[in-house]
Amino acid sequence: MPWYSGDGGLLKLTGAVGSVVTDVSRVRRGWRWSSPRPHTWPERGAVVPAPATDLGWARVEPVRTIRFLLQRGLLMPFTEVMAHPKVEGRELINELERPVIFAANHSSHADTSLVLHALPDRARERTVVAAAADYWFKRPLLGNVVSLFLNTFPFSRTGGAQGQLHSSSMLLKSGWNLVLFPEGSRSPDGRIQEFNPGVGHLANEAGTPVVPVHIRGAHRIMPKGQKLPLPGAARVRIGKPMTREPKEGSREFTARIEKAVRALSKDAPQPDLQGSWIERWNASKPRDLPYD
Amino acid sequence: MGRPGAVIEVDRNTPPVMFHFGEGVRLEKLPLGSRIVYPPDPLEPIAHPERAVKRALAKPLEDDPLKSLLRRGMKLTIAFDDLSLPLPPMAAPDVRQLVMEQVIDMAAEAGGEDIHLIAALGLHRRMTADEVRHIVGDRIFATFWPDRLYQHDGEDPEANVYIGKTSQGEEVTLHKRAAESDLVIYVNLTLVPMDGGHKSMATGLASFRSIRAHHNAKTLLASRSYMNPPDSALHHSCARQGQLIEDTVRVFHIETTVNNHAFPAIANFMQKRETDWTPQDQAMFLAMKQMTDIAPPAFKRNVFHAMRAPYGMTAVNAGQVDAVHEKTLEAVRNQIAVTVEGQTDIVTLGVPYLGPYNVNAPMNPILVACMGLGYLFNFYRGKPVLRKGGVLVLTHPCRYEFDSVQHPSYIDYYDEVLADTTDPIEIEKKYELRFAEDPWFRQLYRKSHAYHGIHPHYAWIWAAHAMDHAGDIIIVGGERDVVHRLGFKCATTLEDAFEMAEQTVGRHPSVTHLRMPPIMLCDVE
Repeated sequence: MPWYSGDGGLLKLTGAVGSVVTDVSRVRRGWRWSSPRPHTWPERGAVVPAPATDLGWARVEPVRTIRFLLQRGLLMPFTEVMAHPKVEGRELINELERPVIFAANHSSHADTSLVLHALPDRARERTVVAAAADYWFKRPLLGNVVSLFLNTFPFSRTGGAQGQLHSSSMLLKSGWNLVLFPEGSRSPDGRIQEFNPGVGHLANEAGTPVVPVHIRGAHRIMPKGQKLPLPGAARVRIGKPMTREPKEGSREFTARIEKAVRALSKDAPQPDLQGSWIERWNASKPRDLPYD
Repeated sequence: MGRPGAVIEVDRNTPPVMFHFGEGVRLEKLPLGSRIVYPPDPLEPIAHPERAVKRALAKPLEDDPLKSLLRRGMKLTIAFDDLSLPLPPMAAPDVRQLVMEQVIDMAAEAGGEDIHLIAALGLHRRMTADEVRHIVGDRIFATFWPDRLYQHDGEDPEANVYIGKTSQGEEVTLHKRAAESDLVIYVNLTLVPMDGGHKSMATGLASFRSIRAHHNAKTLLASRSYMNPPDSALHHSCARQGQLIEDTVRVFHIETTVNNHAFPAIANFMQKRETDWTPQDQAMFLAMKQMTDIAPPAFKRNVFHAMRAPYGMTAVNAGQVDAVHEKTLEAVRNQIAVTVEGQTDIVTLGVPYLGPYNVNAPMNPILVACMGLGYLFNFYRGKPVLRKGGVLVLTHPCRYEFDSVQHPSYIDYYDEVLADTTDPIEIEKKYELRFAEDPWFRQLYRKSHAYHGIHPHYAWIWAAHAMDHAGDIIIVGGERDVVHRLGFKCATTLEDAFEMAEQTVGRHPSVTHLRMPPIMLCDVE
């Protein structure tokens, strides 16, 4: 039977799936699934906070191999298709001898994928991502799934959890690179917000260099409040690793990191070529014309 | 050698046919005995376009080689078409870039210091810097933007000069820089027979005062059709203005044509006839159908507008305007002409997501009418495929959706003017000057990225001939209120539309589906 007869095959299956979705959505609207259900009594809150988990399972075999496959097979191609990321400065981190903190600006959920996409394979495989404990790990299942894909671990952004800072520092000391978004949360309008001093503090404690990273365009792909990513061009610019100056405090170091990320956001001015347009035109002639 | 266009009669074994449906697609079964008209396959592009350009500039038609026209100390202006052509935008490098780079090479060799490049956008919107860069390429952009590479402003009193009246009393204005130049080189890309020739300069570098001479309901109603210049009053008027421009300034015209390879590999099924669909094409269609059914409009729009067409250059000619344009039209017809026997009671058309005036924007209801009735209906030579008084059926979601940056005047036109009347001649009498001279719309056209205040009227009167010719116009899948505002009828399914059409054309009407885009020109015998 030809595929287009409409009496069977893929079209019918697709139609069936479509009608299921329609029905579910109709019921959902009719019975208002999305509105909060009344509680007869308040949910019981934890009296003593549960001990922070660092999701150690996500950093051992065979999870690492599974993640490698997931990232290479799904995440990286998807990022490539959606954002066509242009990476600048990758050569600066090709030969990292010791673990580093990647400090990037944060305007979108797409930032993590973009940073991971920008890293060389060797560095990516040894990189953990600090994810907001109160956002990603509120629901354990979500936190674990995200951790499987991105190698995240919970990071408190309230600044009070010394224990968690300590666990981050232990990760760095045990050889893992760390991706950190020092702004704390996504920028609502794509502009860089003030950096929290945790990044400087962590770098000081672990004695690791910090690599400033600037991501441009992620805000357009998935701004705050957007559920689905939209295709759009992105650029990831990686700066030179920075180390703490002697006698430099955490706050000063953080300010220097912030300045470096802001500097990366600016486009280098075009070299001011001298002379008439003819000289500039001739100077920009491509070396080998493909048709010659 | 690609296959020529074809007319296929629907029988029991004919697969359903794909209809464009805005930012989506539909699959429809046509009644037995209906005809489907398919465009020709893309012609083989020129293998070495740069060499072809070099040859065209060295041996122009009825003009001297370009090299001999360039000299030190001359005032040279290069004008080029804006982003309304081609559709979808061409994958880099754009053919205009290839031509302009060679022209500039020659100018540099001749030592002409005084050179300006102007995007001839007429009353279209200003392009963004990235859009200009896409057309001209990085090298030209880096060398000339923004001092010597800029966009025409039809409302700048300092930048436009009045150069006279034609024998028919049509006023002609021109960009001042072009009018004062020793040589104007116009670089054009002709996708459809309506483009190019004298129309390029007469509209691209003109102001409202000049353009209103031919962009009016009377002229457009007398154009049968604008896709066939010999029968088009619009083109006759442009030719008269063009002659006057040629008398004022020395013009060297360069025209390029491309094949109709309009869709990239990911949407290859749109390029093919349904009978040729492979399992991969069927899978791609199903995937795209499901995606477009469920994805939010903004997502779909981003996906569709990110598509770049892999057009290939099929001809390049340079020299005197008329001589060049004759060759260009021949090349265009070679690519898009299809012979169709006789007219039909019902014509069906799928309106795609993109028209000349909504690059990177949603297609608003006025532009749906402009695209379906103005452009797609008019792709004929001789007489329309639809008989006089027949029913035209379009498929498009036709939502109340406007881009407030690009189309601010369209919103007012839809809300106020079309609520009052849909008659193009009456609208022209009552509203033309109000929209053309509105200071806010003028400001947005000059400083933002908005189409000129009068542009929605032009988009509307573009559909005048089809509205006059068709007995009924039905939009399938459109929003009822919106379709009624446009003065058309609304149907939910194609079957419903055929039922409704029977009231106008009787039982058992003949049906023809024009499977566009890719575009084609129907030679109706």
